[in-house]
Amino acid sequence: MERLIFDAAALVAIVFAGLMVAGRDPIKSVLALAVSFFALAVTYVLLLAPFIAALQIIVYAGAILVLFLFLIMLLNVGPERPDGVRRPVQTFLGSLSVVVFAGLLLGMLRASGARLPGQPEAVAADALPDPKALGRLLFSDYLLHFEAVSVLLLAALVGAFVLARRENAQ
Amino acid sequence: MIGPIPLSHVLLASGALFAIGVAGALLRRNAIQIFLSIELMMNAANLALIGYGAALGTQQGQIIVFFVIAIAAAEASVGLAIFVAIFRHTETIDVNKINLLKW
Amino acid sequence: MTLVDGAIVVLRVVVPALILPALVIPLVWVERRVAAFIQDRPGPNRVGPFGLLQSPADIIKLFTKEDVVPAATDKFLFLLAPSLAVFAALSTFAVVPYGPTIRVAGKVIPMVGADVSVGLLYVFAITSLSVYAIVLAGWSSNDKFSLLGGIRSSAQIISYELAMTTAAAGVVLAAGSFRLTDIVAMQEGTFRLLPVVPRWNFFPQVIGFIVFFVSAFAETNRLPFDLPEAEAELVAGYHTEYSAMRFGSYFLAEYINVIVASAMTATLYFGGWSLPGFHPEGWLGGLLGLLIFAAKTAFFVLVFIWVRWTLPRFRYDQLMRLGWKTLLPLSLANLLWVALLAIWRTSR
Repeated sequence: MERLIFDAAALVAIVFAGLMVAGRDPIKSVLALAVSFFALAVTYVLLLAPFIAALQIIVYAGAILVLFLFLIMLLNVGPERPDGVRRPVQTFLGSLSVVVFAGLLLGMLRASGARLPGQPEAVAADALPDPKALGRLLFSDYLLHFEAVSVLLLAALVGAFVLARRENAQ
Repeated sequence: MIGPIPLSHVLLASGALFAIGVAGALLRRNAIQIFLSIELMMNAANLALIGYGAALGTQQGQIIVFFVIAIAAAEASVGLAIFVAIFRHTETIDVNKINLLKW
Repeated sequence: MTLVDGAIVVLRVVVPALILPALVIPLVWVERRVAAFIQDRPGPNRVGPFGLLQSPADIIKLFTKEDVVPAATDKFLFLLAPSLAVFAALSTFAVVPYGPTIRVAGKVIPMVGADVSVGLLYVFAITSLSVYAIVLAGWSSNDKFSLLGGIRSSAQIISYELAMTTAAAGVVLAAGSFRLTDIVAMQEGTFRLLPVVPRWNFFPQVIGFIVFFVSAFAETNRLPFDLPEAEAELVAGYHTEYSAMRFGSYFLAEYINVIVASAMTATLYFGGWSLPGFHPEGWLGGLLGLLIFAAKTAFFVLVFIWVRWTLPRFRYDQLMRLGWKTLLPLSLANLLWVALLAIWRTSR
């Protein structure tokens, strides 16, 4: 059952990711990605990470993508129009590298998955870990990283403010 | 295996999503779609991290994903601010037309 | 799992989801009567006894009206947006405990849809999705008033979500859990130092409560924060182009959101279904707990209505200033205070 739900959610995530890349209308792309992220959150729940799943929806779907929508609506970016310039060489090289890269990536992931020390059935699906344990780990072993990220967020905050400010503002 | 889910399925999904992200970042001209593709690649990596973490019975994978999400938020805010700044000057976010260092 | 167990699960989950929309019908009548009372006029009192049938009559009208989809809209998104609004409003309630865990005929029945370990985070996740319903309606309508309403709402909801989440973090810190049943459980009984005062989060975290409740008004787009649909400037904001039951969906979602926000306030700050000295036993205890929870929720629903018909609307810059420069710092101060309390409690 879980396996079926996982496969279905993963498939939805992949299909909508494809729609995001293929679409011409930025708003539709953002929405397709939102569906894809929602499906990913479902897979996270099945992979025993409910905290990350909630975070995924709050931060990605609820904040980052809404910010994208806000920006697209604010700047009034319309659907992409073909500009009449064909770039056959670039398109060919780009597609080639995508295909080669995808092949390499999937091959490597396959090899690594097979080499992983097997812990079959060690984690029962009903033993959902408590977010408390995650918090404890975060504020002990990873405290330095946590503080570093908070500094990074502050820097991003200041950076975004400076970048988006009108230069001739009084 | 994580419960009944084989790790190979997780990795396959992750790899496919990452490849789609690479395709979007390389082949599209719209800056917003390129940006979304980069977000998608981060999520693909997150999926792999959570899958590995669950398969190994550790929470470290989730911790790294937590940091990735925080960094993605920082990256999105700066990236969107750059779009606003560029759009004000050039009235476009087509990356092929943003080819001048100075305007 | 036997058939009976399955039936209990279905009842636990499905019944609240059906009762919530049904509650909207009397709620609309209550709102109009209270509004009339505040404005010193009779209000709807013609259809049925005390005008009680006014809301059903309005709903029949909404269902039978012509459903107009303007020509220049983005059809798919235009039709999708209202259902998103109702979906987000309804699914929030799934994790809210509406009664105690009771034992009937040897079966343990927790009176909550799903008691998940990240309950509060789930509520915030679904709430953050409700912004899509408004933004999409605004954009797909292809109308400047709708678009302005959508843009306003996305900025407003993101801004107030921060203050709301930070205020609720104080509750999580005090309870040591995201699980809403744990949050209710820690508020049972009375304070040890003051045995007459119930151990509600409201008392130590009164600042957090104020921030949370004010932000709840902004999140549900109710006056004084109804800028996304400010009728004086934006016609009807994001749902200008909607008619018949699609408009009704937004109406429905708004009232369900009011009920859910009240229920959340009662759960987080006023002990949910619990009362000092109340120890639920059997099905009667469950019913009593449900009634206590309903009474607390109804009180906050009335406050929502009272505020709506008392306060004028904020201007957009005032709204932003209040959110970022007043509520957010206040909620951070509250978090610091709760952390100090927690340290004090553990060090004793």
